[in-house]
Amino acid sequence: MTALPLGGFLALSSALLGVGLFGILTRRNFVLLLIAIEIAMNAAILNFVYFAAFAPVPALGLTGQEIAVVLIGFAATEVAVGLAIVLALHRLRGSINVAQATDLNG
Amino acid sequence: MSFAGTVGPLVPEVIVLAAALLVFLLDVAGARRRELVGAISIAALAGALLVVLADLGFLPLAALRGLPPSVLNAVPAAGSAPLYTFGSLGLVFQGLFLLAALLVATASLSRASDERGAPIYYGLLLLATLGMLLVALASDLIFLLLAIEVTSLATYVLVGYTRRDARALEAAMKFYIVGALSSTLSFFGASLLFGAYGTTNLYALRAVAGSVGYPVLALLGYGILLAGLAFKTTLVPFHAWAVDVYDGAPHEVSAFLAGGTKKIGVFALFLVFLGPVLYVKAGGGSPFSGAPFDLGPTVQLTLAVLAVVTMTVGNVLALLQAEMKRMLAYSSISQAGYMLIGIAIGTSPALAGATLQVAAHVLMKSGAFLVVAAAAAIGVGPKIVDWQGLGTRRPWLAVAFALMLLSLAGVPLTVGFVSKFVLFSAAVQARGFFVWLAVAGLLNSALSVFYYARVLKVIFFEPAPGPLPARAGDVVGAAGPTPLGAGGIGYGRAVAIGVAAVLIVAIGLYPQPILGPIQSAAAHFVAGGA
Repeated sequence: MTALPLGGFLALSSALLGVGLFGILTRRNFVLLLIAIEIAMNAAILNFVYFAAFAPVPALGLTGQEIAVVLIGFAATEVAVGLAIVLALHRLRGSINVAQATDLNG
Repeated sequence: MSFAGTVGPLVPEVIVLAAALLVFLLDVAGARRRELVGAISIAALAGALLVVLADLGFLPLAALRGLPPSVLNAVPAAGSAPLYTFGSLGLVFQGLFLLAALLVATASLSRASDERGAPIYYGLLLLATLGMLLVALASDLIFLLLAIEVTSLATYVLVGYTRRDARALEAAMKFYIVGALSSTLSFFGASLLFGAYGTTNLYALRAVAGSVGYPVLALLGYGILLAGLAFKTTLVPFHAWAVDVYDGAPHEVSAFLAGGTKKIGVFALFLVFLGPVLYVKAGGGSPFSGAPFDLGPTVQLTLAVLAVVTMTVGNVLALLQAEMKRMLAYSSISQAGYMLIGIAIGTSPALAGATLQVAAHVLMKSGAFLVVAAAAAIGVGPKIVDWQGLGTRRPWLAVAFALMLLSLAGVPLTVGFVSKFVLFSAAVQARGFFVWLAVAGLLNSALSVFYYARVLKVIFFEPAPGPLPARAGDVVGAAGPTPLGAGGIGYGRAVAIGVAAVLIVAIGLYPQPILGPIQSAAAHFVAGGA
């Protein structure tokens, strides 16, 4: 239990999370925002798979692969709701630019 | 233990899910009357509440579900990892969630009768409630986070469900972006904890927190998970979205978000962070040495700092608001800080105090937002100065609102006083630096009195400028084509506000029937019963 053998993999998922968070914070187009959210979500899913593959003992309870499959389903659901909001916004305003939505002075 | 892990005892959850599906089916079948779907929803929520109250021993109706004592508060055997268990603190929270949903469902009966989408509204409300009920049962981190997302996905849509109101849709969009960011962070934090400890079971995590595995991964995991959950719970500095969303959402939905769904974040913090807070066995090592390392002090200090910052920032910003809903939103943020005190301390009296604070907040904050809805229906504007003269125009509504604000400020004889008293005395009992948490809480309560008193002054002592719509009939606001009952407010809203106001005073005068079960539930929870 000393050094992690999966440092490279963790670096990849951290990078994915970084790319996703950067996209969430900087993108102004709602659809690109959704893609950024997906990228960040995949970082977490990949983590579960790595840790399950590298674990010295089997997981207690849910295994990493089970969690990954469930989370892939969840991510799809989340995007479906997001697209519904995009569609409603586009019908009402004709724009899906997040920066133009400023009625609530936040 | 054969009971745990089966669908059999999930009676309240099945009732709520079945009602949600029925309401959606009615929508497809064309039966879209608000009264019909509203009555079904209220009946389902009330039925689920009866089952939960019977299990907690408030009603002599053990036959409703009859959870055997071997299941209630049972700790899973070592090596087993159930996804959900039945603990009495979870049942207390279920009762509070159902109460919040019932208040909102009742008040929503008074929404304009020509507004479309009543079945969608009630169906989403029920689905959100289902997620909240599942959160209260969770004993696995992934189950917990997915249950939170059930609620979140339903409430994103609920905020913008009218599809006509640009402000509400903008609120839904902001809510969605922040919510998706928060769930991503939560799952990433959970994945690091899974890597550090090889399990996502909350009992197992609680037993091993800090003892084995990779402390750096664990600290990072808990930190990122805290950030994710802090968004849901509106802790400063993760609070900014809440004000816009509560402001832009339909008033009843704001009541549900502030009084109801926010509390799932609080319970999730209970479940996740009690482990590291209570874990004091090992220690001495550093997170980098690979030796057992006690996460407790780090986690406690982080939670305590977050609590004080949240209380103070929420209260100071509430002082500066000119609009009623934004003021209530900031006050809701500061109240989350009080609840966090209980988790930072982690003793059984402190958790009881935090739970009672949650109960108080359900009544006060959903009640207050419902009063805003009622006031909007009789043509009162969004600014605080628009409320001038309400004390003479609608004395009962003004008195109910005054009770809620006094309770939020923690004035004696209200439930808000009892909860703060229990919480702060637990902080003083815990000694050490927790005494300063009590001091910070008391100072913040004093600060909050200023802005609540300002609102009361406007309502009762400042006459309204110019002529007013006199009584029901000359309704100007968002009400429907037909004047609503109960003086233009609507019977549904009047009943919900009345119930909340009566409970605020009743529990404030005689808290023992509520406080007793909460204290014993908190003791079970700290002892490992979840």
